[in-house]
Amino acid sequence: MPEHRALNAILAPGGITPFYQPIVDILGEPAIVGFECLSRGPRGTNLESAKVLFDYVRLKREETLVDRACVAAALSEAPRTPGLRLNVNVHASTLGRDADFVDFLRHTAKTHDIELSLLTVEIVEHAPPWNSLGFSKALARLRDLGVRIALDDVGLGQSNFKMILDVAPDYLKIDRYFVEDCESDENRKAVIGAVTSLARHFHAVVVAEGVERIETCETLRHIGVRQVQGYLFGMNLASPEASEYADQFATMYRPRP
Amino acid sequence: MSISESIMARQQIRILMVDDEELIVSAMRKYFEGLGYAVDTAHELEEAQALLANYHYDLVIADLRLTGFGGVEGLEIVSDVHQRCAGTRVVLLSAFGTPEIERESYNRGADAFLHKPKAMMELAQVARNLLAN
Repeated sequence: MPEHRALNAILAPGGITPFYQPIVDILGEPAIVGFECLSRGPRGTNLESAKVLFDYVRLKREETLVDRACVAAALSEAPRTPGLRLNVNVHASTLGRDADFVDFLRHTAKTHDIELSLLTVEIVEHAPPWNSLGFSKALARLRDLGVRIALDDVGLGQSNFKMILDVAPDYLKIDRYFVEDCESDENRKAVIGAVTSLARHFHAVVVAEGVERIETCETLRHIGVRQVQGYLFGMNLASPEASEYADQFATMYRPRP
Repeated sequence: MSISESIMARQQIRILMVDDEELIVSAMRKYFEGLGYAVDTAHELEEAQALLANYHYDLVIADLRLTGFGGVEGLEIVSDVHQRCAGTRVVLLSAFGTPEIERESYNRGADAFLHKPKAMMELAQVARNLLAN
């Protein structure tokens, strides 16, 4: 059907290309602790851009189908890096609407020999309301399976205090909007400090995204941010390069237990 | 201005073309790229909206009907452009346009409503006039 052409291309085999961005602990010597799985849409189309892809998917209200496709692609090609965590992005609406999503995740992880205790589900949301009962049940099941929960884009859009209360996440992820140039911006430092303080209360780890400069990284460490992502520590990598990157990182820094 | 200067100037100008017919979209893309414009294409309403949310376009040329089921999705594109993209001009094309729909498209902020079939040269002239203003 012409009106679903782009969606069909996304859901076709090979429609989603996964990439992996290193997550680095900066509490002491930098140590790689995992990868966030990112998705690009069909090559050579408008949807190759992740932002266009997910704007399109949300406008189509097909988050559930596409989240499954992204998770399947991410786990099927996941770098073989023992002990490192793997973060997958899932819309809150998918957890609320798709009663079988947790089973799908468990089955997909098992198929690819990935330990559930090393998985983190990053919750993204842009368009409430969703089925909050289904959402809570899915969260509880994920936790029972040992999967950790991260709240993405804290401070932006719907990723607000209510979501923090509802989700009680293990990780609070701060968007690059707050992180970029924070070393020279007292207001941004104050926002990051407030999130860090909140995270302490919830026994959550703060992860800052979009870290590109050493000065930014030092400022974040000083504020109390524990983990970072961004070009300072690595581009988005295809699976083989991600494994290689992790191996090289391990030779430079002793991995944390 | 030399031809190459004229083409370089137009390369700064970005056009989004929206039509569910691949043949039409690719023919329009080829023609307008040949004139030196940068062209993106979309086949669906939501694809066009996702592009408009992420990129700036100087001109949007959209078909009124994008589903083949009597829809008027082009009107939504006009509204989207009008609300989101100050300065972006928008041309609506239709083989099924009634006077009511034409009026509605202007009410929503369209800069031109053209009835299909329309020769490429005519469309390009309308585009040039809108972009010049």
